[in-house]
Amino acid sequence: MASTARDYLQGLAPGRRPELPERTAGSLRLDAHDNGHTEHWYLTVADQHVEVSRSAEGADLVVRADRRVFDQMAAGQTHVSSALLRNDLTVQGDIRLLMLLRRIFPGPPDARHPRELGRQRTAGAERSAGAERSGGRDERW
Amino acid sequence: MVTQQPVCVIAGNAFAVSDTQGDMEVDPRHPIGVFSFDTRFLSHWVLSVDGERLNALSRDDMTYFETRFFLVPGKASHYVDADVSLIRHRSIDDSFNERITLLNHSAEPVELSVRLDIGSDFADTAEIRQPRQRTVVVTADQERRQLRLRYQRERFTREAIVTSTAPVDVDQGGMTFRIRVEPEGSWVTDLHVGMTIHGEGGRDLRASLESHRDMVRRGMREDVQEWLDRAPQLITERRELATSYERSLTDLASLRYVPLVNPGSVPIGGLPWAMALYGRDSLLTCLQSIAFTPELTPATLRMLANLQGGRLDDEHDEEPGKILSELRYGESAAFGDRPTSLYYGAADTTPLFVVLLDEYERWSGDAELVRELRHPARMALDWIDDYGDMTGDGYLRYQTRNDRHGTVNQCWKTSPDAIRYADGRTPGLPRATCELQGYAYDAKRRGARLAREFWGDPAYADRLEREAAELKRRFNRDFWLPHREYYALALEPDGTPVDALSSNIGHLLWSGIVDDESAPALAAHLAGPELFTGWGVRTLAAGQHAYNPVGSHLGAVWPSDNALIVAGLRHYRQDAEAAKIAAGIFDVAHTLGGSLPELIAGYEREFTKYPVQLPAAGRPQSWSAGGLLMLLGALLGLRPIGENLLVNPHLPPGFGGIELLDIPGRWGHSDAYGRDRAAARESRPRLR
Repeated sequence: MASTARDYLQGLAPGRRPELPERTAGSLRLDAHDNGHTEHWYLTVADQHVEVSRSAEGADLVVRADRRVFDQMAAGQTHVSSALLRNDLTVQGDIRLLMLLRRIFPGPPDARHPRELGRQRTAGAERSAGAERSGGRDERW
Repeated sequence: MVTQQPVCVIAGNAFAVSDTQGDMEVDPRHPIGVFSFDTRFLSHWVLSVDGERLNALSRDDMTYFETRFFLVPGKASHYVDADVSLIRHRSIDDSFNERITLLNHSAEPVELSVRLDIGSDFADTAEIRQPRQRTVVVTADQERRQLRLRYQRERFTREAIVTSTAPVDVDQGGMTFRIRVEPEGSWVTDLHVGMTIHGEGGRDLRASLESHRDMVRRGMREDVQEWLDRAPQLITERRELATSYERSLTDLASLRYVPLVNPGSVPIGGLPWAMALYGRDSLLTCLQSIAFTPELTPATLRMLANLQGGRLDDEHDEEPGKILSELRYGESAAFGDRPTSLYYGAADTTPLFVVLLDEYERWSGDAELVRELRHPARMALDWIDDYGDMTGDGYLRYQTRNDRHGTVNQCWKTSPDAIRYADGRTPGLPRATCELQGYAYDAKRRGARLAREFWGDPAYADRLEREAAELKRRFNRDFWLPHREYYALALEPDGTPVDALSSNIGHLLWSGIVDDESAPALAAHLAGPELFTGWGVRTLAAGQHAYNPVGSHLGAVWPSDNALIVAGLRHYRQDAEAAKIAAGIFDVAHTLGGSLPELIAGYEREFTKYPVQLPAAGRPQSWSAGGLLMLLGALLGLRPIGENLLVNPHLPPGFGGIELLDIPGRWGHSDAYGRDRAAARESRPRLR
């Protein structure tokens, strides 16, 4: 797991990324602010490939945040849509491209595959009623 | 508030709820106030004249986004000879607007103090029952005739800005108008409440998004009229049917909103608790209304494709290819108190996404959309086997990985206790409810058609068809309870059938996974006394240990559920049962004035004579409104066959003759006619 967004983006493998939508293409510029200094990362996405360069040119979507926020995203610790709602991250342009960042950056490192739960359940006889959920719409029931 | 029915104006996920005087005061039982993007921007909005609260004479609900309250000061006992009266005319779009007009009916001038108390708690829609204390910064700006209420947590900022056109004294708690009105004269002020979600540089987040900006601020009245004009025209002698039809269309219109990722308008869940995007509600609403308002579908599919799961994430129950369950914009989503900024805890949305894509092409002929969405559809199909099949036994299952806030039952019956054995025991997790297998089967069959006809991938199509056939064979072996002649509600992790009799068996007919010879037995159960109340099919049959007529998923009747059941019955030519159930739901709509609530109690119709509404069940609800449309389509037997619309009506007795004109589709526009048998017999001599 990369410790910073810089490491992560520099180390991004150049090959095809089958998880990216085939029909989505565009450019994203990430402006990472750090102590009055801004680092620009330019991502060109097309045909399920991501090309990373350093450029301050205009892009279809410009994403601005403190470097810390991008680092958290690269470490799978921050959810891009929550960061947007918190205003920790701001966007200008075509927001549809923002969701690409969720597929380019990794998820949380400790995430489980649903099969892990399935195997536990079939192996042991443990029964669980599951989580208590309250709030939102489920408050109705 | 107490027993009064709250008054709402709605514009997608912006809505305002007040009492019948138009006043708003916090009530933990209802979402009262002005809301937008899951935040309460006004929680207190109370009008008084010379210190006296007002009384409502009448109200004119002009459109779903516009209401006028006619008011007089004072108590009900002495308002008859009131010298002044007020009109409170409110509307909502992306801001809240209220015009207050005061009329002096006397021969003398009056000097009055009109007061509006204003406050906000900036509660998240998720915490209406227990709003948190927040520090709200209030700025009284006399010069601008403005009161600004602002809440900030780190960089998260929400602001309500109330501005008056008339001169006003502004203080921290509201606005006071000291006015003099001449005999037979009037006084007016327009109050505008701007609701701001701060983004970059303090501007509204939505302003910096090209996609979102173009869509709002269109003439809303024109928009509604155009919406109604685009829908097919229903000709019927029964006025109540015409009313219910139009109400369903306007209910749907009111629940459209434009998400930040602007693909066009998509349907949200509904009042009071689901004024947000729910993948399931949106997908089912689109499926239900496809013959009537097909424009909702491309936007919904594109929106859900854009937000499709891309990675593993326990907190959000996310997996690659999974389709969204819930999307909210409030504070609890922003700070991760709830996983709802993008929550994927639903096992049915993903197959339903594929079902809707195929169904839409069958109606519209929009092959380009099918090609555009090939990748997300393929990811969705892969998800079913790679992630949905949690134990490796070939069945689609669910279990949350978020122990704190995850949804226990990730099927449409979301309440935590919804899935039970006939004797009341709770089965283990991960659970495979039966209707999920039907959806998966349907998705594979439809995916095969798309792969063969549009994606140029016959090998994949063959594979999906094989898998679907295999799933159907196994399902009819493992879920069928031969002694009871219905399908089990679910399977345990070890494959033990959960033997409750439930409405879920109707969904199986809709998906086509039922063996033909089993259909009559299912129809008999669905229209029989344990499941059918006279109004509709109960979620859980009377006689099951957990049965409770006021339990949302343990006995109550859901119009949306019933619409799928009726469509399924017609699919298997169980026409008499379909007509019987549809007639019951139409009677609910007619009895309640046309707009279907999300659910009603499961009491016997004979016993209550009236559809008993439950407190949790609000109106409008998109999948209830869509459900009524689907019932109409199912009774007329509307189905696209190749380039044509097939019409195969079977109407309940007493329906008379109906015509549905200008049904949109790949055929351009087409008409459908139907008569119930009695009407057909009566009219025959006249025709000769």
